[in-house]
Amino acid sequence: MSSLSGQGAGKAYWRSLEDLAGSVELRALAEREFPEGVAEEPATSRRDFLKLMGASLALAGATACRRWPVERIVPFAHRPEGYVPGEPVQFATAMDLAGAATGLLVTSYDGRPIKIEGNPLHPSSLGGTDPLAQAALLELYDPDRSTAPLRIARGQQIASSFEDVERFSRELFRQLRERRGEGLRVLSEESSSPSLREMRSRLLRALPAARWHEWEPLTRDAAREGAALAFGRPYRSWLLLDRADVIVCLDADPLMTEPGAVRYARDFARARRAEGGRMNRLYAIEPALSITGASADHRLALSRAAVALVAGRIAAELFLRCGLPLPGGAEELRHALERFERHPFRPPLVTDIVRDLLAARGRAVVLAGPGQPPAVHALVHLLNAALGNAGRTVAYAPDPDPERESHAESISALARDAGAGRVEALLLLGGNPVFDAPADVDFAGALGRVPHTIHLSLYVNETSRACAWHVPRAHFLESWGDARGHDGTLSVVQPLIEPLYDGRSPIELLAHALDDGVTSGYDIVRRTIAPALGGGDFEKGWRRVLHDGLLEGSAWAAETPSPVRPTWAPALAALAEADPSAGPGRVELVFARDLSVYDGRFANNGWLQELPDPITRVTWDNPALVSPSTAAELGVGTGDLVRIRAAAREAEVAVFVLPGLPAGTMTVSPGYGRRAAGRVGDGVGFDVYPLRVGRALWRAEAEVVPTGRRWPIASVQDHHLIDVLGMKERGRRAVRLIREGTLADFLDHPGFAKQARGHEGELPQLYRPWSYEGHKWGMTVDLSACIGCGSCTIACQAENNIPIVGKREVARGREMHWIRVDRYFSGTADSPEVRFQPMTCHHCENAPCEQVCPVGATLHDHEGLNVMVYNRCIGTRYCSNNCPYKVRRFNWFDNHRGLGPVEKMVFNPEVSVRSRGVMEKCTFCTQRIEAARAEAKKQGRPLRDGDVEPACAQACPTEAIVFGDLNDPGSRVRRLQDHPRAYGVLEEIGTRPRLKYLARLRNPAGSESGRA
Amino acid sequence: MQPFAMQSDKNSPFVFPKWVDRTRPALAVVLFGVLPAYLALLLGFAGSPRTTDVGYAPEQPLPFSHALHAGELGLDCRYCHTTVEQASRAAVPPTDTCMNCHAHIRGQSPKLLLVRESHATGMPIPWVRVHDLPDYVYFDHGSHVRRGVGCVDCHGRVDKMDVVRQVEPLSMAWCLDCHRDPDAHLRPLEAVTRMDWVPPQDRAALGRRLREVHRIAPSEDCSTCHR
Repeated sequence: MSSLSGQGAGKAYWRSLEDLAGSVELRALAEREFPEGVAEEPATSRRDFLKLMGASLALAGATACRRWPVERIVPFAHRPEGYVPGEPVQFATAMDLAGAATGLLVTSYDGRPIKIEGNPLHPSSLGGTDPLAQAALLELYDPDRSTAPLRIARGQQIASSFEDVERFSRELFRQLRERRGEGLRVLSEESSSPSLREMRSRLLRALPAARWHEWEPLTRDAAREGAALAFGRPYRSWLLLDRADVIVCLDADPLMTEPGAVRYARDFARARRAEGGRMNRLYAIEPALSITGASADHRLALSRAAVALVAGRIAAELFLRCGLPLPGGAEELRHALERFERHPFRPPLVTDIVRDLLAARGRAVVLAGPGQPPAVHALVHLLNAALGNAGRTVAYAPDPDPERESHAESISALARDAGAGRVEALLLLGGNPVFDAPADVDFAGALGRVPHTIHLSLYVNETSRACAWHVPRAHFLESWGDARGHDGTLSVVQPLIEPLYDGRSPIELLAHALDDGVTSGYDIVRRTIAPALGGGDFEKGWRRVLHDGLLEGSAWAAETPSPVRPTWAPALAALAEADPSAGPGRVELVFARDLSVYDGRFANNGWLQELPDPITRVTWDNPALVSPSTAAELGVGTGDLVRIRAAAREAEVAVFVLPGLPAGTMTVSPGYGRRAAGRVGDGVGFDVYPLRVGRALWRAEAEVVPTGRRWPIASVQDHHLIDVLGMKERGRRAVRLIREGTLADFLDHPGFAKQARGHEGELPQLYRPWSYEGHKWGMTVDLSACIGCGSCTIACQAENNIPIVGKREVARGREMHWIRVDRYFSGTADSPEVRFQPMTCHHCENAPCEQVCPVGATLHDHEGLNVMVYNRCIGTRYCSNNCPYKVRRFNWFDNHRGLGPVEKMVFNPEVSVRSRGVMEKCTFCTQRIEAARAEAKKQGRPLRDGDVEPACAQACPTEAIVFGDLNDPGSRVRRLQDHPRAYGVLEEIGTRPRLKYLARLRNPAGSESGRA
Repeated sequence: MQPFAMQSDKNSPFVFPKWVDRTRPALAVVLFGVLPAYLALLLGFAGSPRTTDVGYAPEQPLPFSHALHAGELGLDCRYCHTTVEQASRAAVPPTDTCMNCHAHIRGQSPKLLLVRESHATGMPIPWVRVHDLPDYVYFDHGSHVRRGVGCVDCHGRVDKMDVVRQVEPLSMAWCLDCHRDPDAHLRPLEAVTRMDWVPPQDRAALGRRLREVHRIAPSEDCSTCHR
């Protein structure tokens, strides 16, 4: 029996397959506060204990005689005007990741960035962020970043200096200029920076025989090629999800991994709250279990090859049966679609999708993901055009770089030329191709044939080690630059701090190579943006851009391109051959983007490594995911190491059995198994890049052989279980942590979530109730809006100085996150539904933790905060044991000990750094409450709704978390707590939680009164 | 399990052996003599100025005299500590502030060598912190100063100190004394920085009035100062 459902509860929720199967081990885990072995210390006799106590008492007496260390106050000699020491200030900047930027606001404390937030003005953010942007801060202060240029010869790294690099490169480029750049190659990452593009064209004008290459391992080239096929030239497209009533995702993940995902998530979530009785409807057909799939109203797990069958079938029924007009002269396309129509595979979901798409013409959108072949993308564009969605729910603009070849072609051409000795000098602007280039491109070998190689990089990574020169790269928080958002909005990347290690940005390195007088990034960016600012006062416009974080009106002008004759129809027809079931012993290997390390570049970021994957809840690893049936077929289970053979190459990977995956597939995410990432990332997980070849970057046919060996996987999915089984007498009454209903349920019975409660009513209180006369802080989490992305967890970690504990400690249940996002499954193991529930301290008005603390270290304040007084805490852990929500975290070690001066810079000075032996937990960001209160007092006004925003609520892309004053009748949180959907978790036991949830709503097809 | 049983005859009904009786007077001495004395000493030590650092007056890198500047010359505190009303920190002034005057006055004094050096090189003067609260205490100058708590209430007669010293214990009990009953420490806003302000006869009445005017309701919650 599931530990999470009472008998007879309508819907069974389970956290893991072990939970579903009712494993004895899990039962034991739920009953123990801490996993086995956690609290066990070496056996100590009573005598030893007394001796130790006596000794430590004596020592304590001896140390008490000393005053604490002398502290220095070092004021500015020349304080900048308007600068107030110790007051945090926010600056706007932007983070470019693989060609799409998110606008950010970075909090700087005495000149040191301490927190990254989304820029509410920026269209790609609207105030929210993804976990990667939040964690970029830790990367800035990473002590493993390279600190000085290196000369690398025969594997020996020799410390060098910028003078040496410049002397060498000046001579090199002088020679190259004489030969018009013959033999010079530049390899860049994908970037949206107009300045980089400008520097590129300057370089290619000055050195016309040079060649520019671009490589991005998680490339979106299929989408680009698909648009080129459909419209005759490459187009960028972006979504206007706020206008979409029906969203059909074919292997696409617009809520998490598409450029602009943060914005899409917000637009999507706004239409999930059933305001005005309307909701959008999301269909997801996908091989992996993505964030979008987890939020879908209908999800169909299919192998990556078989997704095309559904795409073709939908198109066939729309064009051939429902009378949607096919573009003229498209006989070949008709034939292709007929082949899809004849294919025996037709999931029943197609009927619903076709009906909804037809009913919502102009208000629907069909999407394909980067893993789908170009022909599917072209078909999707055609569908959107024919349904009238183009220009309404999806916008198009010509690709700003229409000439470039595809990433896979580009890197293989570079390796080919280098291998043939045609490359004399190679400048690598970032990236790590030795690690992440396609396996059929021997990039390391090719590098060895190039006499002069210069690698600009944040870390001395695998590629740096194979180059002749390494130059430290300035972090984006340290350097000037520019970037464009998902819709083309132009931002200036503004540095928050001087380069810690004197690094260079890519544009500065290019400027040095060009040697045309303008060398500083600042001047280059100003030169590039000048035309865009137009006439008038440049300085004024420039300051405005810096202040706002974007240039208003700089988004691409959307146009509606018309499809050209579908020459791609034969390619599409070939996809109708796909067989949705794989042969025995072989699996379809599906490559998916890892949500923590991206392509491997964030592997040394402890915050991201320790952020549990939203779906698997695995930390510090990238196991290969298989469905229970496939696992049984292969004869493996979670933690078994298997050998995967694909394209004549091998990789050894641990298996993790995950429900909801299509049979016959195995999902792997590249980016782990780094060999030169740094102290944090080295040897974490498995390198699966060797299984990836240039012609098929996103899927492979693979053979899987068990090795018989095991690998420990640190999954938090069964940690901090909320145990409701202990209350057996209430077993029959539904004690439900997650409450949900369909739109129809909600419209018929708005208070359905409340009816799920036990029937006790308000329990009598033994303790004197509090009156809460001033403010009364409370929070709501809308489960309809939460997509489980984990931004809140990282934002909280950054704001509250939460330590990283490492894989071994996570495996023992000692992770320290103050807010976790619980993931529950419901339904069957083959096609489960996924639920997310952010869980943090509920700040109970009748808090069980407060009543058991023997030293008064956790107590109530007059505004209802359940506060932790670290200095009083003696570490009995009674509070954690008594917390029904399992949200208290104990410092088993002095997790911050031994940090260097640069690492310490990441700390928020407004929050105490906790030491060993102290309990800690969510404070509702009490430091932000106090800061807002001080600011309001300064302005002589009362606190207003919205003045206080905890880090989690601030970061949330979907505005699922709302915080405020429950005593203020007009506050958002008050209105939400009075909402019919509001309910409290475990309210039945009388804790009177201040954190309420809004029941999850779904809008499945066929719920009659609900409409899309 | 008999954790507290000392040697005992297996047949004896008593847990403790007989000789224990003879130690009773010694126990009494410990219980009624040594223990109270120890506790009294402990409390005395904890509250003594030596522990709380009252009187702490470290030597500063240069002999700046508050007695001269704030006392004799009568400079307002806020001439140098400019941010005290707006921010949590009163902010030790930049060297520029010194040079506003000392560019013209005593420009060659050897005592001001460090100031001139700092001004020329841009390197800060490394002052020694006198009023040092523990790191887990978050004090906000602005909130206090803007609502009528005088500088002198915490820092003493700085205008009479050649070398600044700590005059109040700055302990939590001392903070709470005022938070529980602020009336005796409130003064009109215009008198906040006045070191020599003389309270009127009925200070309690004035305090009550000011408390109402500024809506002062000091919190005693842990979360007010600790985060």
